[in-house]
Amino acid sequence: MTLELEWGLLLPALIPVVAMLLVLVVDAIAPRARLAAPVIGALGLAGGAVASLPGVLASDPRLTLCTPAPEGRCMWDGNPLASTLQIAALLATLAVLALVSVRRAGVIDVVMLLASASGAVAVVAARDLGTWLVALELATLPVIALVAWRDRRAAAHGALTLLTTSVVSFGLLVLGAALWVTATGDPTFTGESLATAWAVPERRALAGLATVVLIAGLAFKLSAVPFHAWTPTTLTAGPLPISALLASASKLAAVGALVVVLLPYESVVGARPGPHVVVATLVILTVASMLVGTVMALRQTEVVRLLAWSTVAQAGWIVLPLTALSVAGRQAAAVYAVVYAVASLVAFAAVRAIHGWRVEDGRELTAYQGLLRRDPVAGGTLALALLVLAGLPPGVIGLVAKVVALRPAISAGLWPVAVVAVVAAVLGIAVYVRWFAVLFGEPDGDAPARPRSRRASVGVAVLGAAVLVVTSVFPQLLVGLVS
Amino acid sequence: MLLVPGAVGIWLVTGGRTLAASAARSVALAAAVIGGVAAVAATVARPVIDRAWIPDLGVRWHFEVDGISAPLVILTAVIGVLVVAHAWAEQPWAESPQSGSAATYLGSLLLVEAGALAAFAARDAVLFFLAFEVVLVPMWVLISRFGDKHSASARADASARFILYTAVGSTLMLVGILLLVFQAGTADLDDLPAAAAGLSLGQQTLIATVLTVGLAVKVPVFPLHTWLPAAHTTAPTAGSVLLAAVLLKLGTYGLVRLPMANVPDGFARIAPVLAIAGVIGILWGGLICLVERDLKRLIAFSSVAHMGFVVLGLASGSETGLQAALIGNIAHGVISALLFVIVGGLKHRWGSVDLSVVRPALREVSPRLGFALILGLAAALGLPGLAGFWGEFVALVAAWDPAQHTGILRTCAIIAAVGAALAAAYTLRVARIVWVGDEVPAESADAAVQQTPDARSVEFAVLAVLGAAVVAIGIAPSLVFSVTADAVTTLIGGGR
Repeated sequence: MTLELEWGLLLPALIPVVAMLLVLVVDAIAPRARLAAPVIGALGLAGGAVASLPGVLASDPRLTLCTPAPEGRCMWDGNPLASTLQIAALLATLAVLALVSVRRAGVIDVVMLLASASGAVAVVAARDLGTWLVALELATLPVIALVAWRDRRAAAHGALTLLTTSVVSFGLLVLGAALWVTATGDPTFTGESLATAWAVPERRALAGLATVVLIAGLAFKLSAVPFHAWTPTTLTAGPLPISALLASASKLAAVGALVVVLLPYESVVGARPGPHVVVATLVILTVASMLVGTVMALRQTEVVRLLAWSTVAQAGWIVLPLTALSVAGRQAAAVYAVVYAVASLVAFAAVRAIHGWRVEDGRELTAYQGLLRRDPVAGGTLALALLVLAGLPPGVIGLVAKVVALRPAISAGLWPVAVVAVVAAVLGIAVYVRWFAVLFGEPDGDAPARPRSRRASVGVAVLGAAVLVVTSVFPQLLVGLVS
Repeated sequence: MLLVPGAVGIWLVTGGRTLAASAARSVALAAAVIGGVAAVAATVARPVIDRAWIPDLGVRWHFEVDGISAPLVILTAVIGVLVVAHAWAEQPWAESPQSGSAATYLGSLLLVEAGALAAFAARDAVLFFLAFEVVLVPMWVLISRFGDKHSASARADASARFILYTAVGSTLMLVGILLLVFQAGTADLDDLPAAAAGLSLGQQTLIATVLTVGLAVKVPVFPLHTWLPAAHTTAPTAGSVLLAAVLLKLGTYGLVRLPMANVPDGFARIAPVLAIAGVIGILWGGLICLVERDLKRLIAFSSVAHMGFVVLGLASGSETGLQAALIGNIAHGVISALLFVIVGGLKHRWGSVDLSVVRPALREVSPRLGFALILGLAAALGLPGLAGFWGEFVALVAAWDPAQHTGILRTCAIIAAVGAALAAAYTLRVARIVWVGDEVPAESADAAVQQTPDARSVEFAVLAVLGAAVVAIGIAPSLVFSVTADAVTTLIGGGR
């Protein structure tokens, strides 16, 4: 079998892999050059992002790894949506690398981050089950090691939780993939073969089951309810930068993977009977995540735990537009995921800037009393991030993202879900305003001391906040990317 | 018109926080005046801004002032200047060390003003929603940081209630807007009525219900009004004024602009429910005003009653009703602004405005404040010749002769008339307690005057402007009617 291959399209995934190898080689030759690894890693991530750029601007199909016609199937699709998610995931990983802080980032950290990034890049573009599965695991597994890397007992516990979850999730994904191949007879996610299978009742049932199992496996990675249990434990136990990675780049990879799974359904959405079981699964995930995540976040006083539960709630918002099973829905999910990833990165970076390296202690809400006056930069960026997450102007982009996410669901006639979303949005405002209100107060004496080495964290927070401000003024910059 | 207050507001909140109070005040006043002049100019020249903003969502920067929004734009602009000027009379930032700086306070005022102006001028449904949301956070800052200094928990409660209730309303409104925009295929308010005319009655009713419930929170219509008294009582004077004169108008303006203009048949179907809710609001507000002891809360509940009249006018669905609602809106904006300035001033002087505490007669110790109070109360009562009369009277006339549902609306009109009598009772009660008050013995007269100094310079100027507006609208309502008439005719006629 010959494969038609176009290297240029694969570059976003290849550059981080090459960088990873380079880091290992350099480490073997010159183990004392401690700065080399982070620098090469950063260049690799940035290079990957640059290589994805043409995909955002291109309008022609960017398919590669195709088998010969007429039965041609392509295993790689660098369309604008995938490219946008790739850039976002790479830049998010870059930001996390900065948060890990250049001086402390060892070779292992850099290699793991690069591996996870290349997995994330590959999974959003993959169109065949094999690449998709491997890439998804490549995106996830290094993160487990990163969580456990610091030798704290709590971190090990968090890593163990994540590992168990990942194993279950992997089992589900493999089962789903097997069912998919059985149902459609096709090892790629393609609309035509699903449409053929959908016409036969037995195969239709099998295809539906396969998709539900796949979605369940992905829901672990998205931390959507009821597959969310690991999220608060792992995010609070692990090092803060890695929590930021889990909340941003990993989330983007999971969204990309989910989009790939749901892609074929566009060809059967108008069929009779329609894919009700898939829609129902997605609706349950959305509604449960939004409500449970927000209500639990409302009760938290520890900030990272609050952010963890807010991750769960936001997962619901990301899945919401996907329930429409339409092009607009996919694009909306990508837009929402990117906005969420940037905002949560800013929030994590600000938290990191406030608490410094020893972030484990005293991350209570009360420690943020009067932050806006005590520390205007960290406080200001955190305030903006919270407003974006809540969807309140001046964080216009958060509000636009909510509008974008609601539109497909409403146009698909799922307005009861939209009503639940309204409730969740309001409760969400209560969650974030609770924190926001604390920032405003009068600073009191027992605030944590400002850490010394926080330039990188402040830099990430400021850059991320700048992205939020610019996209708030010109939402089209982001909304237009994916279409 | 939007740019100057908005930009200066943002700058004051972020960069200029360290600015001295006096400098910040001057800058803010300049910005408010420039914005106000620009707004008035815009209502005369009627410029159109129409630029693509988010093409993928079909959202455009489309601003245009028309007959319905023109009076509200002017109202907002004038109130904007007045509340900033009022910062010379009352300085909420100086009273307690906990609140933020003067720049934050003034910046928030300007941002609320800019957001409201943007909402009134927006000609795109999604843009309207975005502008509607802009006012939330600055208003929240005003209530929670600069509100009643006595009780932090009351501030937290009131501000949280305000933001959550409003968010419920606006998010529901968003769902309604998205439904409407999706079904009609355009978000432009100029094209929407024609595009939405083809919708079935069921769809129209659904959209109208979602939109109306969402906006009713903001108006507020009974039983969704419970956030209002708390917010009014705790907000600083300028905040209360903005809340009553500008933010509540966003709700009624939205009702006119969205459900009434675009899905008239659906709106007509739910109109009786709205009318009944409005009438219950009139009675409920009136009854509470009879027993309420806190003067600020009392004014807030009277707001609920007045908005009941506005809603009744809207529900009648006729041209007269819409006119009544619009003038009622403006009149209530001016009157409640006047009353809140007075009551806020009294609270500032006395520390509380509990009506059960016997105080020296206002007419003797501070005649200017006393006169302004009587003027405001009389206008609120709906005395002919003052602004409040036209809104209530015309609303009753319209409800007596509505476009549909004659039986229900006539009943409502009768009950509303009873409610107007209640208004007379409670305003007289306030006048008796505060204005007539207790006799001031000659020997302690100086002390009483010192405790309640009369309105001077800026405060007096603010009161004078508002008082003059109350009288002017009362004597010559055609000032407003003539501006709105054409737009009203097209709105009612175009939908049918």
